[in-house]
Order: sequence, then structure tokens, then C-alpha cells
Amino acid sequence: MPRIPLIMPQLGESIAEATIVNLPFKVGDEVEADQDVIEVETNKATLGVTTPCRGKIIEFLVEPQQSYPVGYVLGYLEVSEEDAVRVGANGGTVVETNADTQGYDAPSSRTILPTIHGLPVPAHLGGGGYISPRMKARMNELGLQAADLAGVAGSGAGGRVTIEDLEGFLSRLDEHKQTSASPMRIAVADAMRRSWTRPLATVGRPVLLDMLLNHRRKQTIKPGPTLYAVRALAIALSETSAPAGRLIGGKIVHPKAVDVGFAVEAEDGVLVPVLRNAGAAPMAELLPRYDELVELARQRRLPPSAQGGSIATVTNFGTFGLTWATPIPLPEQTLLLGLGAGKVMPSWDKEKEAFVPVTEAGLTLAFDHRVLDGGAAGRLLARVAELLQSPEKL
Amino acid sequence: MAITYLEAIREAQAKLLAEDSRVFIYGQDVGGFGGAFKATKGLAQEFPGRVLDSPISEDAQMGVAIGAALEGMRPIVEMQFADFSTCGLTQIVNHAATMFWRTNTPCPIVVRLPSGGTAGGGPFHSQSMEALYAHYPGLIVMTPATVEDAYTMLLEAVAIDDPVIFCEHKYLYYHLKADALPTVALPAGKARIARQGRDATIVTYSAMVHESIACAEELATEGWEVEVVDLRSVKPMDTDTILASVARTGRLLAVGEAFPWGGVTAEIITRVATEAFHLLDAPPMRLNAKDTPVPYHPNLWGTHRPTARAIAAAMRTLLHT
Amino acid sequence: MSQSAPATVEAGITDFKTRYLATYRWMLLARVFEEKLASLYRGGKITGGVFLGKGQEALSASIGVNLRDRDIFAPLIRDMAGRLAFKDTLLDAARTYFGSRLGPMQGRDGNIHRGRPKDGYYAMISHLGVMLSTVAGGLMARRFRGEKGVVGATCIGDGGTSTGSFHEGLNMAAVEKLPLVVIVANNQYAYSTPNNRQYACDDLIQRAVGYGVKGYKIDGTNPRACLETLTEAVETARDGGGPQLVVADLLRLVGHGEHDDAHYVNHALKISPIGRDCLEVAKEQILAEGWANETQLASWREQSQADSDEACMSALRDPQPDPRREKWCALSNEAFSEGMYNDT
Repeated sequence: MPRIPLIMPQLGESIAEATIVNLPFKVGDEVEADQDVIEVETNKATLGVTTPCRGKIIEFLVEPQQSYPVGYVLGYLEVSEEDAVRVGANGGTVVETNADTQGYDAPSSRTILPTIHGLPVPAHLGGGGYISPRMKARMNELGLQAADLAGVAGSGAGGRVTIEDLEGFLSRLDEHKQTSASPMRIAVADAMRRSWTRPLATVGRPVLLDMLLNHRRKQTIKPGPTLYAVRALAIALSETSAPAGRLIGGKIVHPKAVDVGFAVEAEDGVLVPVLRNAGAAPMAELLPRYDELVELARQRRLPPSAQGGSIATVTNFGTFGLTWATPIPLPEQTLLLGLGAGKVMPSWDKEKEAFVPVTEAGLTLAFDHRVLDGGAAGRLLARVAELLQSPEKL
Repeated sequence: MAITYLEAIREAQAKLLAEDSRVFIYGQDVGGFGGAFKATKGLAQEFPGRVLDSPISEDAQMGVAIGAALEGMRPIVEMQFADFSTCGLTQIVNHAATMFWRTNTPCPIVVRLPSGGTAGGGPFHSQSMEALYAHYPGLIVMTPATVEDAYTMLLEAVAIDDPVIFCEHKYLYYHLKADALPTVALPAGKARIARQGRDATIVTYSAMVHESIACAEELATEGWEVEVVDLRSVKPMDTDTILASVARTGRLLAVGEAFPWGGVTAEIITRVATEAFHLLDAPPMRLNAKDTPVPYHPNLWGTHRPTARAIAAAMRTLLHT
Repeated sequence: MSQSAPATVEAGITDFKTRYLATYRWMLLARVFEEKLASLYRGGKITGGVFLGKGQEALSASIGVNLRDRDIFAPLIRDMAGRLAFKDTLLDAARTYFGSRLGPMQGRDGNIHRGRPKDGYYAMISHLGVMLSTVAGGLMARRFRGEKGVVGATCIGDGGTSTGSFHEGLNMAAVEKLPLVVIVANNQYAYSTPNNRQYACDDLIQRAVGYGVKGYKIDGTNPRACLETLTEAVETARDGGGPQLVVADLLRLVGHGEHDDAHYVNHALKISPIGRDCLEVAKEQILAEGWANETQLASWREQSQADSDEACMSALRDPQPDPRREKWCALSNEAFSEGMYNDT
């Protein structure tokens, strides 16, 4: 025959347990429905636990004068099949065993569900590019830029870098040897970072240096090849200045004067002295000033008036033996003309129907692609090459 | 010998009645019957004339307390349920709370509110009213979460010269036990780090402290260490401790059993957002009861307010953000 | 202290004539002072509401003169006379109306909300009926302390008796058998609401039976009746007779506030006996008894005027509250206040 449990009821709000004060029946007694079979006492009153239906008491699981929590199984009734179905096999309550009735301070023995990775990214977080306020504050504190964190893998939602990722990255850096970056280095880093925010492109073509080299041999004071390039660029920009314009908002801002800068390597960095109005005077007139500026730059004694304000820059990376490069224009400029190292190579001469030696160098133009495209860049470069190949015009 | 949260409250009142002749207790059924929850059991017999039954008149109960306080007594009013305190709202927020500011005369009363939900309590026997009272200037609102705090904070409440709303949690009454009564305590207004952590902070109070600790233990098996801050008093709120915890962890979940709109959790998050925005590594979160009256059926009630499981789910989202 | 303020006169010690004349002096001072306030209000010198007690002076003064130093008094809106007879001063009243920083409320509350709770002179709040249980609580405290012979009094209007607070307060005071004297000034109107829209019983005095307390019905326009009845009620309470409910019929002779013209008041009431001015009745009674002559009455009025002017002029020169010097803290214990909201 089926058996149903007698459960300790909830006898008032916030009551957690009750004490058995009397067991008026014995095992084996027949009892009716709704009969008080166990007397219990709470903090407020003495009450009876009633039977859900008639039956025979077959087991008590409690002792008098002991306290048991709400939901505890106090004993079992043997009941008829119909009664068991009517009250539900578990006596009409959800609690069955005594293992479930734990108090507040019982240790948790629940099954832990496995962690779910890759939860949906909240739309407002902006994915991998999001920098939290805490991150910003910490980066500020350490003088870090977003660019410095390019190498940090983000473990946050959408791949964002969290503060833990950052601190982990920084602590791993401590395992490396570290030297201080000079102010020059930091200034150049900042300039390059800012310049790089624009879409930059580079185009290149060959230029014959033979004419230039011949011209140079005939001079008493020999101008550096860089000055030839500066003068050629200045003349070309005097003819059309648009390629040197800057895109600000929806406007092309045209240059005021054809001031051209040129890169000089100084200790731990690059300085860019400027030849003012380089399109107005011939090379011979510019030469003394040019040499002076080069010397000042090398000694890092370049006055502020000789820096800044140029509309384009020339860099002669050929002096390092480089044949081509993709240099980054200054952040406030659109153009950077590059001259590579000259190399003697065979060139097919159609008339002679033979290879003849020529000195050829790479001429490159790095530019802000928002302002001009390959065509305009190519045309400017062609004009510069043409001028370089006719040095008497410079 | 274990002592329950309720017994601690009774012990505190017994101590007060014994040691301070200015103290008396006034409320419904508190006398011979010992109170609906037995918080004053035996006290009317032990201290004759000091534990008095009032008619069902929350307004008058509060008026009596105010008048007696003006005359130098330290009355404790027991409301039978926090939910009924609204019948005395006028006296609490318009009279007691304004007394000092208007007349320069302090009003040292304590109002004990049996608060919070139990299964089957329903809409009018389950409310958490702390935000309502904290909103009014001139009141102190305490929300003890432990047996020890229930004891020491009630003693302190009576000693304070201003009106104190003492929110006791009904479920904790008999479900929470301690080994002994404390001899030292944090002062009211200081929060307690209930559990030290590293990865995120839960700021909460009252019964939710225990749910939050259970949640933290569950998350510990997954490798997360969650810090739990027990506010102890909602007003004044220990903003410094909250900010220090968020400074350590960078993530905040505010949990409360009360209704969501403009509650204690809103206040916690507002303070952190305005004073410590730069400490947050993820948007702050909060978890409250649902925006409906407290339901009667245990199935509904079990989902209506935050549980350890629900807090853990919210936590996982916070930790993975 | 003003010259027109007679010393408190105790029942059983002082003769009736002296007590009556003292009561009259308080009535007269209250009337004259409030006329001054009304004039200042119309002159734009007072911000906020001005609520006068014209027509209720006899009733109010009668309770005031019967209270002793250790008694508790929670007056209401139209109790200028009673307040002065108890512990109020013209200067305190003027300062409160002008919001002076030196007044008892320091500008934080105004007009009739003033009081000095530490002296047993409780400060009312706008929610009517709450003061009954408050005074009851004060009396319970005195009882706890073993203090005997204390009486607590509170005044309320016909409208205030409709509130739950009134009911709860009187009920529990009766259960506790406290020496609480409740004076109901039935001035026929609660703002614009006449009695027949306020309660359905024939007379408010019928409620005394319902609460289990002693009740007294008086003609509020008759100063003699007021003084005799209030004396009996206060002494009965003082002797342990439990709460005493006094209901006085009279008519509000002003608007609800000085901003109200009371056009809704039934003209028939104004010209009926209930519409009599208690100061006029007092004058008739005094002259009939030969307790003073016209010249003396006139000189008392002049004195009252001088005192009122002096108090008002002095208070008008007082410093006003300075928001930058205000502590902006609603707790007596500053350690528990949250300073973050107070930054200017």
C-alpha cells in the first residue's frame, strides 16, 4: 500500500522551525482525515499537524522535545490507493526527503553550471575599440596612448581591452629591459601617430641622376642632392600649389608661401629645417642658407623661426642606402618627397640599340590620399623628375 | 548556544529597558503577547508599565513617540509590519523628521519596521521601505543584516538623538543565528566588507547580503572573487567604503530587495557614477525586485526579488562585459 | 516683556474678576497685534500666509490662562490669544512672521507653526489632528517620570476633527486616561467648507460619548462662559478625570487666511448671535460688572497697540536668514549628515 509523508508546516510568518511537544498516537494507530496527529510548539503558539487523509501511522521520524525545520518529514502514513492519488503521491507537498530542508547557514552543495563565455556584447560598449573610464584614467596616469595598446589582446566583451588586460600587459613589460625615451623620440612618436590617422599612400618612379651629378661636379661649392630636390619640388608647387593643400572640413586650404622643409637626421630623431620661398630664388642663392640650416640642425641649434610652416618636405633616404621607402608626411602636411640612393644600371638606348649605363634613383611621393589621388601625385612627380633631369633650370 | 536575529533584538530591548529609564516600547500586541514576532516576549512582565499595547493607530503611535521624545523619553515604536507604517507616514516624515530643523529640538525616537519578504507574505506583509524614509531629510535609516548588527545597531539607534527608522528583516528573524552577542561593533553609518573580493563589487544590505554571499561562493568555484559590501545603514550611506571597493575591483552591482524605481540601488549607482566614474571598468548594474507589488504565491515570490541564483546571473554578465 | 501682559492667574487662588480681566487683556492684545499683522501683510512686509484668530480670542485666551508653567500646550492656527497667555511673546510671534533669523524657528518655518517644544509649547505642523497624540505622548512621558498635576491642551477646528489623526489621538488618550483637554473651536467653516459638508452628527459634542470622554458645550462668543467652562475642564483633567472634549460654537470673523475674502460665509450667520464679536461681548460684560470703565479699556487698547508696534518694528529690523550661513543639516547629530549635498 502507498505511503505519504507528514510534513512540518509553515506555522506563521518568519517561522523556521517548531518543537515536538506531544505524539498522542503510536505506530500502528488508525487515524482519520484532518486529525491532529503531532503537537508542535512555535515561538507564538502550540498547534497540531494534521493528516491529509485517513490512514495508518507506520513511522515517526521525530522525537519529542526536539526541534525540526519547516518542511521536515515527521513520519509516514499508510493510505489507500485512491487517497494516495487524491492527495498526490508525495502527500500534497513538494518536499520529499529531509536532505532538502537546510537552514540558511548550510554550505551550498548545488551543482554549478559551467561558465558561459562569449556573452552578447552590449551595443553601447562599442566592441574592441571601447576604452572604459577606468582604462582612460589609468592610461592618462601612465601617459599611454591608444596606439601603445595596439599589442594588447582584449579579454572583455567584443574584444575590448579591460583594466586587467592592461595591468597584465604592463607587468609583463617589466620583464624586459627598459630605457627612457628621449623627449625628441616622444615628440616624433606623437607626430607620427597623429599623421597616421589619415589615409596615406605612396607612389614612385625612376629619375636619372646623371645630369644632376654632372651639374654638381661643375660647382665650386657643391650643393647636396637634397637641395636640388627641394628646388625642383618648390618650382613644381609654384606652378600648381593644390597638391600641397590641406583638407580641413569640406575645404582645401591652399598654402600661402612655397616654404619647403627637408629632413635632417639629428641624434635620436629627425629635424626639419625650412627654406622660405624656395620657389622664388635659384639654387645658387639658396645654397648658403641651406648649408647653414643643415649645420644648425645637426647640432640641434635650429632656431624656431627656421622650423615649421613648410608646405611640403623632402627626405633624402638615399643617404642611408635605401632605394625606396614609404615615409610618413608631417601631420600638418600633405606631401613628402623622397629621393632614394642612385645606382648605376643598364638602360636600353633605342637609338644605339645597346644597353648604356645610367645612374638611376627612386623618386617617391608619400601623400594624404584625401587631398590627391594617384594621377595628381604622378603628375607632380613627373614634373619634379623632369626638373631634376634639367638641373640648369633649378 | 545560538542566538537568532530576533532574539538579539529582544536582548537589545531588554538591555535598554534595564539600563535606561527613558526607554519604553509602544506598539500593537507588544505587551503581554510579546509582539507579533515575539520581539518583546517577556519584556512587559519583566518591566511593568514600560511595554505598552497601543490601539491600531500607527499615526497616534508615532504622535505619542514624538511627544514623549520632546519630553525627554527615548521611545521605541514597534510597527507590526513595515507595510503599515504608511498609516503613520505623516507623523514620521512631516513631524518627527522636521522637528529638529524647524524647532532646534531633537526628536530621539526609534521606529522598528519588520521588513522584507517571506514566502506567502503577499503585497502588504513584505515591503522594504527604506528608500521612502531615506528620501526625507531628518531621518536615519538602518538596515542590519546580521545578528550582531541587529543587536548593536538597535542599541545605537536609541542612543542617537535623531529619529531612526530601524528596518529589521522578517526572514532573518529566525533563519539567522549567531554564536554569541557581540561586545564591539562598527558605528552606524559605516559599511562592512562582508566578503573580500577582487573581480567585482556587490553593494547591498539586509537579507540580500546573504544572497550575495551565496552568489559569491558559487562564482568562486568558477574562479571569480566577488566582494560584498554590507551597507548596514542606508542613510547615512558609507560612500567612502563603496568607492574604495569599486577602486579595487572596477565593477559594481547594486542589489536590493525593494522596488526598482528610485531605490537604494539607484542612489548607490548615482554616487559611484558621479564621484568615481573613472574607477569603472564596465557600466554599473543593479538588481531589484520587479516593478510590481510583492506577489503572494511562492512561485511568483521566488522570482519577484533577487535570489543568489539571479544575482549570480547578473554577475556573470558584469564580469564578462 | 510687554506692559499689557498680565501675570498668569491660577484658578483657586485668584478671584474670578482678576482672572477675567487678565483673560480680556490677552484677548485684546491678540486682536490688536493681529490687526497690525494684517496691515503689514497688505503692506507687503510678510511673505507666505497670515492666518488670524478674530472671533476666537475668548475661547483661546481661556485655555491659556488656565495652563500652568509645567503644562503642555499645542495650539493651532487661530490661537494668538491662548499662545500669549501661555508662553508666547509678541516678539517671538513677530519674528516668526517676518522670518527673522533670531526667531524661535530661525526662518525655517513661519507664522503659526512656531513654538518652543522644550518649554512645553509645542509647534504645530500643517497636518491637522497630529498634535493630539503628540501631547498625549508628552503627558505619558510626564507620567513615566511620576510628575503629578500636569495637564496637556490642544486646540483644533471643526474641520480638523474629521481627520484620522484626530480620531486616533483622542481614542488612545482616552484609553490611557490622560489629562488631555481638547478644545474644538467650531467656527462653522473649514476654509470654504461649511459644517454640513464636514460632519453628519447634529453636534460635535456628541462624539465625546463615542470616545468615552467628558464633554462640554459652550457659546464661544461669551467670554464668561468660556473662562468658567475651561477652568472646570482643566481642573477636572488635572484631578485625573481623563480627556476632556470642549466644543465651542462661534464664527470665524476673518477669511481662512488674509488672502481669502470669505465671501462664501452665510450672511445669516454673520448677523446671528453666533456672529457676535467676543471682544464686544467682553466689553459689555466688563462694563456691566463695573470691573473697568471706558477710559481704562481705551488705555489698555492703546498699550496693546504700543506693544504690538514695538515688537513688529523691532522684528522688522532683525537680520534675515542667510543661505550661505545656513547649516543645511536636518539632523541634530552632524556626524550622520551627508555633506555631499550641501556644497554651494
